[in-house]
Amino acid sequence: MEFKYKILKGIDISGLNFLSPVVRLATGEEPAKQLREIGRFIVVPIIAFLAFLWLWSVVAPKHKTKAGEVPTPAVVWDATGGIWRFHEYETQKDQAYQLTGGTRLDTLGKAKARMAELDALEARAKEQLAAAEASSKEKFDARVAPSKKAYDDAREASKDARRTRTEALKAEAAQLAGATPEQRETFLNHLRDADAAAEAEKKSLDGLKAAYADAQTVTFPETKDARRTVTVLAEERQFLVKYLDMLGDNSREAKVADAKAKAEEARSAFLNAGPDEDLYKLGSTVLKRQELLATTAASQYAKPWTLPKQIVRSLLCVFSGFLLASFIAIPIGILCGLSPTFMAATTPFVALFKPVSPLVWLPIIMIIVGGFMPDPENHWLIVLLGKVPFLGNYKIDPMFLSSAITVALCSLWATLVNTALGVGSVDKDHMNVARVLRLGFWSRLFKIVIPTALPLIFAGLRISLGVGWMVLVAAEILSTSEGIGKFVNDMYTNGSSQSFAQMFVVVFIVGFIGMALDRIMVVFQRLVSFETAGSTL
Amino acid sequence: MSTLDFPPRMSFLTLENVAIGFGPENQRVNVLEDVNLSVRENEFVAVIGFSGAGKSTLVSLLAGLERPTAGKVTMAGEEVVRPGPRRGVMFQSYSLLPWLSVAGNIELAVKQVFPGKSKAEVKEHVERYIEMVHLTPAKDKKPHELSGGMRQRVSLARTLSMQPEVLLLDEPLSALDALTRAVLQDEILQIWEQEKKTVVLITNDVDEAILMADRIIPLTMGPRATLAEAFPVTLERPRDRRTLTDNPDYQHLKTEITSYLVRLNREARAARGGSIIQMPDVAPRDFTPPSKIRGLKWKNTA
Amino acid sequence: MRFRLIIPALVGLGSQLAHAEKLAVEKDELKFGFIKLTDCAPIVIAKEKGFFEDEGLQVEVIAQSNWKVLLDNVITGNLDGAHMLSGQPIAATIGIGTEAHIVTPYTLDLNGNAITVSNSIWEQMQENDPDLDSDTPEHPISADALKPITEDMLAEGKKLQMGMVFPVSTHNYELRYWLAAAGIHPGYYSKTDVAGRTDAEVELSVTPPPQMPATLEAGTISGYCVGEPWNQQAVAKGIGVPVVTNYEIWKNNPEKVFGVTKKWADENPNTIVAVTKALIRAGKWLDETVDGKLVNREEACRILSQPNYVGADFEVIKNSMTGTFAFQKSDIQDMPDFNVFFKHDCSYPWYSDGVWFLTQMRRWGQITETKPASWYAETAKKIYLPDVYMKAAESLISEGHLAEDELPKTTDGYKPATKDFIDGNEFDGKKPIEYLNSFKIGIKDDPSMATK
Repeated sequence: MEFKYKILKGIDISGLNFLSPVVRLATGEEPAKQLREIGRFIVVPIIAFLAFLWLWSVVAPKHKTKAGEVPTPAVVWDATGGIWRFHEYETQKDQAYQLTGGTRLDTLGKAKARMAELDALEARAKEQLAAAEASSKEKFDARVAPSKKAYDDAREASKDARRTRTEALKAEAAQLAGATPEQRETFLNHLRDADAAAEAEKKSLDGLKAAYADAQTVTFPETKDARRTVTVLAEERQFLVKYLDMLGDNSREAKVADAKAKAEEARSAFLNAGPDEDLYKLGSTVLKRQELLATTAASQYAKPWTLPKQIVRSLLCVFSGFLLASFIAIPIGILCGLSPTFMAATTPFVALFKPVSPLVWLPIIMIIVGGFMPDPENHWLIVLLGKVPFLGNYKIDPMFLSSAITVALCSLWATLVNTALGVGSVDKDHMNVARVLRLGFWSRLFKIVIPTALPLIFAGLRISLGVGWMVLVAAEILSTSEGIGKFVNDMYTNGSSQSFAQMFVVVFIVGFIGMALDRIMVVFQRLVSFETAGSTL
Repeated sequence: MSTLDFPPRMSFLTLENVAIGFGPENQRVNVLEDVNLSVRENEFVAVIGFSGAGKSTLVSLLAGLERPTAGKVTMAGEEVVRPGPRRGVMFQSYSLLPWLSVAGNIELAVKQVFPGKSKAEVKEHVERYIEMVHLTPAKDKKPHELSGGMRQRVSLARTLSMQPEVLLLDEPLSALDALTRAVLQDEILQIWEQEKKTVVLITNDVDEAILMADRIIPLTMGPRATLAEAFPVTLERPRDRRTLTDNPDYQHLKTEITSYLVRLNREARAARGGSIIQMPDVAPRDFTPPSKIRGLKWKNTA
Repeated sequence: MRFRLIIPALVGLGSQLAHAEKLAVEKDELKFGFIKLTDCAPIVIAKEKGFFEDEGLQVEVIAQSNWKVLLDNVITGNLDGAHMLSGQPIAATIGIGTEAHIVTPYTLDLNGNAITVSNSIWEQMQENDPDLDSDTPEHPISADALKPITEDMLAEGKKLQMGMVFPVSTHNYELRYWLAAAGIHPGYYSKTDVAGRTDAEVELSVTPPPQMPATLEAGTISGYCVGEPWNQQAVAKGIGVPVVTNYEIWKNNPEKVFGVTKKWADENPNTIVAVTKALIRAGKWLDETVDGKLVNREEACRILSQPNYVGADFEVIKNSMTGTFAFQKSDIQDMPDFNVFFKHDCSYPWYSDGVWFLTQMRRWGQITETKPASWYAETAKKIYLPDVYMKAAESLISEGHLAEDELPKTTDGYKPATKDFIDGNEFDGKKPIEYLNSFKIGIKDDPSMATK
């Protein structure tokens, strides 16, 4: 029982209240009531989500733009697979490059076997694609033929008609030399009639053309599927080619062995060289080759950024910005809350800078950061951050810093204002207690003021983190700093048939992470709020 | 003007011709005016008055939380210029720090008042006072987990733990239900008998005043309220609330004080020339932001 | 006898040492930027086919969101080098826009752009010129049929809007060339008019390539000049019709270059040669033919269609990269030279290419002052680094990756004079002032400058 209440309390603090009926039901507490609660808080949202998916999959195919199709849930799922596959491939390549000895040879053998399988698979897929294309072409032709014929015929007829009319009018014009003004007027009318006829023909032609174009806009799912299979297999082949290369001749092991042999060779050439040889040259060759051996041994596969790694980097970036914002906003907010004079001095800045968009901050910050780091790779801060254990793997560069600073600049306001508010609203009675106890400034600050303000500070931090997460994606798009934003931008610029679907994937990922961050902040907020713990959602 | 009831050497806590007012100088209205009070060491004085008469202001003056605009406040011959732990205040609103536990609230005071104490001594000290108010089982609870009476006990324990020479009790029990109030009255009395401190109790309850005090001083109606003639309470201590109501002296005193207060009220109304409805003197916790913040916009997250 | 045996053995050993020798690169981990266009292919291929690795380089290839960001990243050192518009190093060096000394040892490709107009403009052009009203009209299509449309719009007080990708991009100059050749004025730049619309009959604006099709469909612009795959996208999606390729505007015109800062080139003299070697091999691989058929292009398209590179659909990239070009769904033309990466001495950094871009910058007022002919030559020499290219090529020859006859035969770095333009004008890189003065539309300079 004790245990159950601990769980319930944990659930309450983490804001996952929808789970509490499940726990209660499991312990047999008022089953009917719990089932009702489960129905309301778990089943209903699931049904709503399923309904959303259903509506989406029904509506999406009906909305077609020339820029692309709105992806259905199935397509988005497929795109998720594609993104994951790319990540897997690159990770495997990275691992392959570092494999040594028997493991490497085993893996190589397996990869070769897969390559052999792939040949057959690819051949079959291509055959299927050809068949599908042939059949769909047939269908397409059959579908298009009538409207095409109608359009072509009408066009020819219209051309003929126009030619005939023009010729007739030209002939008539030739007769006009001695004609009266009335007759000439009549001719003008004939000309007008001809124009009107041409106009009418054009209109009906346009209609036919539209029908022809309409008939052409048809997709054949079987061809599409066959093409996807071919593409997936071709991608795998592409991967395997590189993979085999990196497991075989271009593996680090092989390259190191090669470099070692060459270094040895140069060394023995130098040691055994006769007096009439250029010992200086041979000697420097030895050094060069030894150096090359060292770099080869330390070399890494230049792995491209994949979404999972980009997500982590985005999170790092948002937390860096968030921490920076907190370090700036909380002290300033406390000062604002304590001193009306300081508050008066700060208010104009808050009012002025708060509405500024991240898209405006970023370029300015990039220029400033760039100004501080003329040679970024050797700048002490970059070098220092590069040595931080986890962070170091994520290539901290000026772009990362710029994005983080932008996040900080856009998100610090909520924390600042909330902190000032919290500090300013310290209970007068609590202050009286402090006065009676004769607490000094710092004790008053840390024992009364800050604890009072904490719930509001955390409410501010929660808003800040939410704002920061939204800002970050925009900042990354603009700064091409590796992260989710860069991924979105890349997918958008790719303009491939998968682009839309990939962006939908990102929508869900960004949304999910944003939600998770918010939940985390809610937990913190609840832990520091001393009154009733149930009020924040 | 001097109406001191006792020679000065006897008086421990005094107010001499004290006035206090609020607002800008040219249109200041004094809340209290011409207030004189002298409390002997170990005396239990009750100040009784209507809501809004300025009772809390009186406590603030005694505590040193407010400075008088005229006259002076002294304690043991020294002028009171700022608050300090020698005059422990028990506020009507408990004013416990909600993020600290019962022990934490008391510990904060103990550590501050007795900076020389070792950790163990502090702990021992804190536990002693918690025990004194019978809260040991709840010592790790947070204030919001406690009932009103328990909270006021914590407040009492905190005030006592500072070992003040004077206890200023600002309507400590007025927000509590009658039963709890009775229990707490007895407890406070009991502790007072043990510790023998100088106490000034502010109250609006005649029974409470008679039960507890050595002397009852009515506060006239504001504005420009002042202390009226004191009613000495000569009933035997310890006083038993069960038998007290049957005591003719008690009944007489109660009638006297009550009728005096009723007369005060009637006079004040007549003076004001109308009937003003008095709001109960229970101020809700003020959650509106102080005006200096209103210039900023903030996001409400509730 | 003994003597004769020893010598060849020693020589053999020596030469083996020499030609297997890798350059001692100053920096072995490099970051190159690129824009998602198919002509970044040599950089991507050099990485994917391991040519960079063969030089001991680990290269990260990073997509950039636009040309400005790319250039800034190269200048600030976030990138070591990048896929650049030919005009970019020149403009940066002479201080149009961002000023920085950028140099190039390698031209990435020839041709590869096209001008696409919207369906409605295409229909109006067909009305103006009935010969165009065909499933397979005759190419090249000049802007003559467009002129009446612009005139009508001017009469209504409107101006035709067209998009290009960057003020100093080849696309801007090609679009202007095509319009001006038909007597349509695309407008001058000046100190005060940085949008280049003074006297314009058609207004050009900068639009990032990926947004071209959407902007065209929205009607904000009626046509654009851009690289692939964005013209083929327009065909595939049916939102526009490519009317002319830049191959038809100027046969085998230089398109993109590989640019680095002068500072970087000076600090990494061996690395730049090593990079150039890898790029030459990549270019050669891309242009490899068997029986006149490009054999590696399909694989290249597969690689480029990876999401971290160009990322467009394989089919779309294939349309333009495998030797054909689709003007309409019904009009797919053979265009073996639409993308040239190596042949026609493509990759050599010709001074005359630099001079041509300078003349166009002067023609349209981006260079605001009259300059003597000698200035054109000097400026080109500041930017193009044929020495680095030759060093790299010779090293490749000694390694057996390149044949002697694949080197350009030149003594001074200038291509011979050519008339392969849509208007038949002759360009001689040694006579920039005469070339400027030969255009009907464009700023003209004092002929006396020709000899200064």
